[in-house]
Amino acid sequence: MLTRQKIIEDLLPKKFGWKGKVWVIVLLIFCVIGLVAYILQLSKGLVVTSMRDYASWGIYISNFVFFVAISLVGSLITAVLRLTNVRWSTPLTRIAEIIAVSAITFASIIIVVDMGRPERFYNLFTHGRLQSPIVWDVIVITTYFFISLLLLYLPLLADFNIMLQIKKSTGNRLNKLYSYLGSFWKNKPEQIKINNRSIQILSITIIPVAFAIHTVTSWLFATTYRPGWDSTNFGAYFIAGAFLVGSGAVLVAMYIFRRAYKLDKYITTDHFDRMGKIVVMLALVYLYFNVNEFLAPAFKMKKTEEGYLLGLFTGDYSKVFWFALSTAIFIPILILVNKKGRRPLPAFIAGCLVVIGSWFKRYLIVTPTLLNPLLPMRDVPDSYRHYFPSWQEWAIAMGSLAGMMLIITIFARLLPIIPIQETIDEMEEHEKD
Amino acid sequence: MKWKNMRKIKYIALTIGLILFLSEVSLSQVVKNKLILGLGYYNNNNRLQYLKANTKAKLNGKFQQVAGIHLSFYITVEDPANLLGRAVTNEKGVANLFIPPSAKSVWNKSPKQTFLVVSEATKEYDGVHSNFDLTKSRIQIDTLPDRKITATFSELRDSAWIPVKGVDMKVTVKRLGGDLNVSETPTYTTDSLGVVNADFKLDKLPGDSIGNLVIIAEVDDNDIYGNLTTERSVPWGESSKYVSTFNQRSLFARRGWSPLWLEWIAYSIIAAVWGVLFYLFLQIRKLKRLGAGYVAGKSE
Amino acid sequence: MNTSDASRRDFLAASLMAGAALTGCSGKENPFETAQANGMITPTGKTVKLLSVDGEVIEMDEAFLRPVSDLPPVSNAEARVGIPGKKFVMVIDLSRCKSVKACQASCNHAHELNPGENWIKVDVIQDAEYTAPYWQPTTCMHCDEPPCVKVCPVDATFKREDGIVLIDSDRCIGCRFCMAACPYTTRVFNWEAPQLLKEIAEKPYSCETSIPQKIGTVSKCDFCADMTRKGELPHCVSACPNGVFFFGDMIEDSVSNGSETFRFSDLIKDKAGYRLMEDLGTKPSVYYLPPVNRNFPFEDKNDPQEDKKVKTKS
Repeated sequence: MLTRQKIIEDLLPKKFGWKGKVWVIVLLIFCVIGLVAYILQLSKGLVVTSMRDYASWGIYISNFVFFVAISLVGSLITAVLRLTNVRWSTPLTRIAEIIAVSAITFASIIIVVDMGRPERFYNLFTHGRLQSPIVWDVIVITTYFFISLLLLYLPLLADFNIMLQIKKSTGNRLNKLYSYLGSFWKNKPEQIKINNRSIQILSITIIPVAFAIHTVTSWLFATTYRPGWDSTNFGAYFIAGAFLVGSGAVLVAMYIFRRAYKLDKYITTDHFDRMGKIVVMLALVYLYFNVNEFLAPAFKMKKTEEGYLLGLFTGDYSKVFWFALSTAIFIPILILVNKKGRRPLPAFIAGCLVVIGSWFKRYLIVTPTLLNPLLPMRDVPDSYRHYFPSWQEWAIAMGSLAGMMLIITIFARLLPIIPIQETIDEMEEHEKD
Repeated sequence: MKWKNMRKIKYIALTIGLILFLSEVSLSQVVKNKLILGLGYYNNNNRLQYLKANTKAKLNGKFQQVAGIHLSFYITVEDPANLLGRAVTNEKGVANLFIPPSAKSVWNKSPKQTFLVVSEATKEYDGVHSNFDLTKSRIQIDTLPDRKITATFSELRDSAWIPVKGVDMKVTVKRLGGDLNVSETPTYTTDSLGVVNADFKLDKLPGDSIGNLVIIAEVDDNDIYGNLTTERSVPWGESSKYVSTFNQRSLFARRGWSPLWLEWIAYSIIAAVWGVLFYLFLQIRKLKRLGAGYVAGKSE
Repeated sequence: MNTSDASRRDFLAASLMAGAALTGCSGKENPFETAQANGMITPTGKTVKLLSVDGEVIEMDEAFLRPVSDLPPVSNAEARVGIPGKKFVMVIDLSRCKSVKACQASCNHAHELNPGENWIKVDVIQDAEYTAPYWQPTTCMHCDEPPCVKVCPVDATFKREDGIVLIDSDRCIGCRFCMAACPYTTRVFNWEAPQLLKEIAEKPYSCETSIPQKIGTVSKCDFCADMTRKGELPHCVSACPNGVFFFGDMIEDSVSNGSETFRFSDLIKDKAGYRLMEDLGTKPSVYYLPPVNRNFPFEDKNDPQEDKKVKTKS
């Protein structure tokens, strides 16, 4: 039987065991290698990548789209489910929110990495043109970052109070952090009322902003004439994919935290069952958008799109294309449609597949289009006609993914990954019934 | 016997060696490329005059321009006192020199002048000379009703202007980068009165803002007279007014000139969302103030 | 009678002298009023003494000497506005192109481009199986509705009054959105540091000359904005031995390839000129004359590995 005391004991942030330490070290190694690669890139220029005049965008941009896509999970789990008065998702809200915040942070970082002159970043603010979709993207990303940060912070306030009371369990430095961030929270009824209303307002506001952020990102491609990008479907297509990869990431995170912190009582098999169903539904929606995106143009097979479409279906990119679709959509659906498949371990595997397949799907959005220009590729060295990322690009891309996971890991070390106060509230409400 | 043969052989060997050495030396001298230097005289609108020298050399079977050759220009004779100026050929192998005031007395003495140009020897090329014998001349343009142009070509003979027959002239309208022929005839030739009659056949040609055009009569690359152009402004064009989209609001205009609908939509959305955020920041402040009312440490 | 005649003669002589004095000693002689009136050339303030054809000593501002020597680069603000009252246009006659690529060589040389970077590309086009193959040189189209300018976030690429689209390499952040947006894929990127001679690298940068190129920025054909400001033709136009490129001002309705000058509207009408990818609505400023009655037969012996990409003209 769960008591308040037990809940607090279980959910307080704990120190890393040996597994946690190894995990952090591995992530740090990836981050450092990525940093070294970036320093090389800064000194020699973007020539260290494999990007050239035709494939002028590469895995930095596909990584960027991937990060923005994952960050939408914050709005889905936290906002949408909260607004629809779903109660079972409460343990997952903070996981979703921290994934969102760290993903958006690294989206901004990877976009600066992709710039040819990063030291001129401030030009965006001093000389920005409102007509440019990049400026729209900067505005929405910044807005979404602050909204997500607030949506992470406000529900934390109640937990600070609890943690400050249990000073013995947490270290001295952590206590200073907690008191700095939320010592003013005294659980007074007025505070609770204001806080709840603020969270409600944020949940409503974040939904259109989340839609905007990924629609504007899709417009970075849809506002051009390129085959494969010149599509009216792009906004909805991207958002559907974003929700899918976000919930897949939550499945992965759920499983890892449950195992690492022994949170079986809080992240139950029922949660996996429900998240699994959500992922199936989102995967079907995404499949629907993919069919729309590819079937209609393939029916027409316009000359400008022919090379691109055939390249994806049967040509140079076919292996990656069918791999991505299988791992992101088909196989997870097959796993999760079955009740046995929605148990924690199979669901975790399905979630991993969703994330990996989605990453490759983002690569397929960027590169094949650029290598099918409207005028023939001409008067360029041979290396310009292909694109396979160089080791520096891989290092930086993996480094950014490792960095994102590092932020999540450190957050779980410092702050409770499952909302303590809300769990207590739910338990008490449950007991009343 | 042996000694005599040895000496003969020595002499023969030496001679052969000398011949080989000399031929090698002369061969290496022959290898130096030939620089072709040309000189032309230009008279713009009877006012501005200059000399233009161009260089060419056969490299890899093709004639190519030679840059970086130092040239010295002279008038009448190749004497330091008659030096007009120095110039270096540019990338197109061309060097220009405007005739300086120092040539004033020599220039005014005679209607016939000689210009000379000398190139400095370099590693690849020997020094070469070239000259141009000029007879002073001029073109006068006049217009007749019904859009007819007459251009008279005369040369200077003992302070008198004498019309010249048989000189090829082009009559064009001044345009950017190249001049447009006024009629189908590309080249006219002066008649016995030194006159060329051209019809202005260009209908509705855009001129400046009030419809003025500039007619040019030119003599190109004449062996005696050089290159002359004379201009005259005529009101035979259409007035041209070009309104560019530069100062219109559009999606491709510069910063600050975006379409109004975009600015309204964007700023109102930003104001609305950040208004909400600002309100929430205020709410956090309120939470802090509410919390400060209690003594720290006590819990509820 | 005598006195009045004499006085009249004196008066005439005096006025003539005054007129001559006015024109002769104005200090800033300008025999090319139209150039100044069009705002194309601003006087530098430095004057040179010359001997005129009449044997008089005259003084002229350096800027008006034709042929023009190198002028100092214009300010960034002036480069962004361009030359008002002009609209530059190029006509490429496909029936004359032999893929000599002298245009490419002179352009690359004049703008000190890195090896591998070509602002002019000579495409091999064969629209369909039974249509004729031909070479098609492409430059930047300097579109009237440029998609590259629409998407630039920092105003680093801009369209001027005279229709030229330029790039400011001091402003460019290297995001390469313009490269993705251009349907003609005409833009190139400086992936590495440009290999320049010291005197080129130290020249003050001007958007009109596009020299020196900078690492991490985009570049493309600039219609030789510095040459057109001097009233000269772009390098590709002068370099082509077959007279393929014509350049001029659409407002003046005239284009020239250096040796031939045609009335632009007549040329396009008579030879059925067209623009590339008209259906995209970019409104390019480069017109093509179809490869009819070709001067040279098509032999792609230069590039055996180049694929003849079958594409549509529009």
